[in-house]
Amino acid sequence: MILRRLQYELAARAVGPFLTALDDWQRRAKGTKARTGPFSPPLESLRKLKDMMTVHYLSGRYADGAVPVAWVTSGFPVELLRPLGFHTVYPENHAAMCGVQRIVPELSDAVEAEGYSRDLCSYVRSDLGSLDTGRSPAGRLPRPDLLACCTNICQTVLYWYRDLARRFQVPLLLVDTPFVYGEPTDHQIRYVADQLEEGIEMAEKVAGRKLDRAALSEAARLGRDGSQLWGECLETARNRPAPWTGVDGFFHLGPIVAMRGTEECNAYYRMLKDELQDRVKRGIGGLRGEEKHRLLWDNLPVWYATREITTLLGNGGFNFVCTTYTNAWAEASSLIDPADPIVSAARTYSMVMLNRDLPNKLRLLSRMTGEFGADGAVLHSDRSCKPYSIGQVDLKDRLASEYGVKTLLLEADHNDPRAWASELSSNRLTAFMESFG
Amino acid sequence: MVRENYIRRQREEHGRRAVAVLPIHYPKELLTALDLLSVEVWGPPGAPRSDAAGRIQPYVCSVVRNALAFLASGGADVVDAALFPHTCDSIQQLATLAHDFGGWKKPALTFLHPKGEPRPSSRRFVAAELRGLASRLEEVAGRRLDPDRLAAAIQLHREIDLHRAALLDGRAGLDMDDAELYGLLRRGEWLWPEEHRAELVAARSRLDPARRRPGAPVLVTGYVPEPIATLEILNAAGAFVAADDYAAVGRRIARQPDGPIGDPWEALADRLAAVPPCPTRATDQDARMRHLVSLLDRSGARGVVIHVVKFCEPELFDVPAIRRTFAARGVPLLYLEGELERQLSGQAVTRIEAFAEMLGQGGTT
Ligand code: SF4
Ligand code: SF4
Repeated sequence: MILRRLQYELAARAVGPFLTALDDWQRRAKGTKARTGPFSPPLESLRKLKDMMTVHYLSGRYADGAVPVAWVTSGFPVELLRPLGFHTVYPENHAAMCGVQRIVPELSDAVEAEGYSRDLCSYVRSDLGSLDTGRSPAGRLPRPDLLACCTNICQTVLYWYRDLARRFQVPLLLVDTPFVYGEPTDHQIRYVADQLEEGIEMAEKVAGRKLDRAALSEAARLGRDGSQLWGECLETARNRPAPWTGVDGFFHLGPIVAMRGTEECNAYYRMLKDELQDRVKRGIGGLRGEEKHRLLWDNLPVWYATREITTLLGNGGFNFVCTTYTNAWAEASSLIDPADPIVSAARTYSMVMLNRDLPNKLRLLSRMTGEFGADGAVLHSDRSCKPYSIGQVDLKDRLASEYGVKTLLLEADHNDPRAWASELSSNRLTAFMESFG
Repeated sequence: MVRENYIRRQREEHGRRAVAVLPIHYPKELLTALDLLSVEVWGPPGAPRSDAAGRIQPYVCSVVRNALAFLASGGADVVDAALFPHTCDSIQQLATLAHDFGGWKKPALTFLHPKGEPRPSSRRFVAAELRGLASRLEEVAGRRLDPDRLAAAIQLHREIDLHRAALLDGRAGLDMDDAELYGLLRRGEWLWPEEHRAELVAARSRLDPARRRPGAPVLVTGYVPEPIATLEILNAAGAFVAADDYAAVGRRIARQPDGPIGDPWEALADRLAAVPPCPTRATDQDARMRHLVSLLDRSGARGVVIHVVKFCEPELFDVPAIRRTFAARGVPLLYLEGELERQLSGQAVTRIEAFAEMLGQGGTT
């Protein structure tokens, strides 16, 4: 245990930072390569981002046995686990890494052979396939002591985490957030708050210590501030030209997903915000050329084809300036009250976009297109993600007819490239661009 | 059409209003106590009734796509409200899509039953949710909920459960084929409960414990017995359903000990908790596997048919565990996935026939 803890601390504080510094040095020695294609040179913060995420995953390799480890869904109120010293791992984040590396078909094949249907969410298939095959872009994920699942993004995560709980034989901390039609009822919020209190008891048992309520308030404050900072980074794209592209946003999400509620996360977003604001001042856009049209992206990224999609659009002067996906984490903890971290978390985490009705989503889409000056929207119809995708046909029509936004429904799957028809999609995107005249 | 006429007659003859109910779990007793006829919408099967199905992507289950098409085509206009239980992500989204963006103009009610293992928080929540639903149903019914009528409705549905369980358990001694039995059991989805009870009582009188049904007994687990030809072909090929775990049928039968009702709200919560494990409630998967094994053992089933709807995540997530469970016991298994089509494909027919024949010859996988 002591040795393991030492390895963990060393990886987090010494080896990880050393390796990333070495990597930086080597990259500098070779000279920074400008991004090819229609994009401006990468943000300086990207280096820091890579370093942080590398250290996070590297230290994670030594976390089990050293500190309590929780695998957590992206919408879980993770602030609860911070004061208990959990190292948190985000299987969705890890699955997205598998998607970027295009190893999902192989991982999925492994679980399909066990009877898991290809119609299940590709994040689940990626993650379970990674466990089955041992293949992971992160090298190795630490074994969980606790699985923390919140259904505010979908019910799928509950089935997924139940499966993980069986595999690892560890407790499942469930926060069931009933869907919100209109406004939440008092008993819905009470239910979620009660579950958070029940969950604390479970997490305390696993961590072997009592929750310090003052530390919880502090983690809640950090989480809220982190979400607000992330929101401010996103808002810089309201400027013309937007200082980055929506795709940059997908990748800079890492800390707010995986490290929410920590000072390190917030420090990173302060740095990123400064850099983006500086770009705004200097008139540097995410695209090298003229930003002719500004677009909104709805739904998860198509992780294995983001570059393909944005390059095609970028070459035509189209930039994604906002996405409902990255916005979700700006909403995540923004309403948390550190003085009442439980009830305010119950309300905030119940009110995330995916847990709310379609009029709310339409309001969000219209607000975002208005505030970001987007004249077009691409709605990714994601075969894997029903909660995000049902309703998009109507949303697309309403955005066009009621708000005058040009829209495209693009069929894909966020992680499984077997559902991606590259040529057909290119043709549809090209026709979409041509419709702007 | 049969249902539509029935709903109209119920209104004319008994002054009863009706509520269309989407799958799966809901406190039917509340509706009965308020003199509301529940008419369940499991799809309906067949081709979608209108173009509205195109408002939902083809990778979403046909239950939800067909339901939107049905509601939007006016298929349920004869009822007074629709109830959307918290069954899955797709039904949740359907509730807002149809109600907020068109397809359903009458009141849309929801019943958000909790997910996962029972906990003190979930018990409190379900109690509050039941009361909330009751007051919304009162508005639809145009009358107040009378506690005595609620107790009577709970009693009535307990009896119905008892009869349904007896018919399913004793089916080997019943002179009915599977299509006839399921036709009877599924009429409970829309008949007024007292009429359904009368039919069940009459069917029970046909039970003959001495009778042994010929053929290979199988356990069926899945969503809904559609198309019914699935079971007709199974029967024709020499097998029959000896144990049932369909979400629409067996998984909604509570086998509670008979006793005083006490506090009716507690009784309603108890009943919801007492039905067999169901993935749409995300109950414990091991408990579900134990339940399936006990169904197999009690019924003497020699094989298992998994009969699910394509794209149905709750059901699909349990399929690997079901496969593992029965593979470990050497029990043959047939996997069928459909889209509520009216007719089975030739390939599905061949697979069902081959499976039944294999069981008939005492084969294993
Ligand atoms: S992609 Fe969609 S279905 Fe899959 S885990 Fe995320 S929210 Fe759930
Ligand atoms: S078939 Fe499955 S996915 Fe479709 S409505 Fe029923 S439970 Fe939901």
